[in-house]
Amino acid sequence: MQIDYRIEYPVSLHARFEVEGFTVLLGASGEGKTLLLKAIAGLISARGEPFNHLPPQQRAVGYLPQGHALFPHLRAWENVAFTLRGPDRRAMAIQWLERVGLAELAERWPASLSGGQQQRVALARALARRPSLLLLDEPTSALDPVTRDEVLAELIAEVHQAAIPALAVSHDPALAAVADRLVVMHARRIVQIGTPDQVYAQPASGAVARLLGLRNVQRGRVIGTPGAQQLWWPEAGVAVPVRTALADGATVDWHIPPSAVALSESASQGAIAAQFDLRQTNVHGSYLGMRCGQARLWMQLPPGRELPPAPWLSLQPDAIRCWPTEGEA
Amino acid sequence: MTSVADTAPFRLRLSALPAALTLLILVTPFVGLLLSTHWRHFAFTQGDGAAVGVSLGYSLLSLVPIVGLGTPLAWWLARHRMRGQWLIDALLLVALLTPPLAMGLLLATMYGPYGAAGHVLERAGLLLTNSAPAFVLAQFYAALPYYVMAARTAFEGVPRELEQIALTLGYSPWRSFIHVSLPLARLGLAAAVALAWVRALGEFGAVLIIAYYPQGIPVKLWVNLQNVGLDAVYPLLWVFFLVALPLPLVLGMAVRRRLS
Repeated sequence: MQIDYRIEYPVSLHARFEVEGFTVLLGASGEGKTLLLKAIAGLISARGEPFNHLPPQQRAVGYLPQGHALFPHLRAWENVAFTLRGPDRRAMAIQWLERVGLAELAERWPASLSGGQQQRVALARALARRPSLLLLDEPTSALDPVTRDEVLAELIAEVHQAAIPALAVSHDPALAAVADRLVVMHARRIVQIGTPDQVYAQPASGAVARLLGLRNVQRGRVIGTPGAQQLWWPEAGVAVPVRTALADGATVDWHIPPSAVALSESASQGAIAAQFDLRQTNVHGSYLGMRCGQARLWMQLPPGRELPPAPWLSLQPDAIRCWPTEGEA
Repeated sequence: MTSVADTAPFRLRLSALPAALTLLILVTPFVGLLLSTHWRHFAFTQGDGAAVGVSLGYSLLSLVPIVGLGTPLAWWLARHRMRGQWLIDALLLVALLTPPLAMGLLLATMYGPYGAAGHVLERAGLLLTNSAPAFVLAQFYAALPYYVMAARTAFEGVPRELEQIALTLGYSPWRSFIHVSLPLARLGLAAAVALAWVRALGEFGAVLIIAYYPQGIPVKLWVNLQNVGLDAVYPLLWVFFLVALPLPLVLGMAVRRRLS
């Protein structure tokens, strides 16, 4: 489904993209993502397709706001049945709750449900409206970190099963990673569209890389002509060898994967004096946060390798990716 | 040296003293009523029963226009912000703060036989002096601002997002109001109705000016005091408290519990 919406107030925003399967609109807080969802749902004044000029009650959307907004004076099944009519509405509501695996909680009040359960009831309520588009506002924000991935997987499975295009807006890279289609917004503009694989492989800018949660995205400037270039990193006060096709003096966002940051044997040219800051260990491995001047660089230490007391770091020139920042807001 | 743990209860006791004193002062008149009532010779004065009937009947009747007209205004005030909003707020406050006697005089000026509205209405057969409609009118003006203020607060407590969700689920704004806003504001609205009712029931100043007749409880209390003496007011006073207070008390405390 093609989305093309223009908002004038309270912020000026234009967004145009295709929603396919589970589409995630990734952007920082304050970009106007929630406003865009409200505009599509008809809750704020805006122009655009689909649903142009229709009042909200005539738009076939299922809107799941942050915090899920279940009606506190209605039981779980009554929330789902809110949009249903006729003598069978209770049975139909229970069927919808069965689909999201919550039929046994039908008589519960919203306040007694967990964040994930509330979200599924809200999803069942939205699906019962038989929408042509699902709108989800920060669906991971109210979830418990421990069960988040599981709840998220369940949610996406439900959306796929319902075969309704869904647009989720979020600043959470974890949500972006499980999307069918990823739309990245920066400075109130759509800056990149693709599958998560495509976008993660080739972020269009440093801003996109930061939104994707990549470590080691820094500011710098390219010095010298292609073939004999260095990257000046002002926060660390060093210049490191780099290979780009950018012109001399170009201001850039640059990134290096933590795996391409190595320990240097000595203070050779382009080596960076560093201090150990902190260690971060998670399921993906162990990262060392190294203080380099005013900035922090993350690295992965090869197994069995010890960190010397006064380490020097070297950056693989081919692993450094630079994006020019001229013209970027 | 005195530790923090030792001084804390002392401070608590010290701060409780003025609170206890204030409560004592507050409760003194009621204790006075309890002690002054001649329980062995508890007897109503002639016309007391009719006054109770008049007060109860007409105060309930006055709730119809108060709720009917006050609820849309309260909801509109809770949900809309506009230029010159301060003027509307000030208008409500003026109506709320006008002394009852002054309100009675204003009503007499406007709705009395020589008033602009009164003249027109009287020609249409609606007499707004010393009549049942005048009694209801005085109660209406006395209680409406209180109802609007309390109902507005009740509506402001309903998350706007829930009303919007109802719209996205296919409900019209009117159905969203009926099925979401009203049920979620029901406790605050009930408290507002109770407050308005007790204000209407107890209204003396405005009623005295434009509706000396038919006599409700407040005017009858005044008449008993003038004609018979203090002893003649206690039985009617007890009826007033027993009838008027329980409902607002229960609802007021329920709202308070929810807020805490």
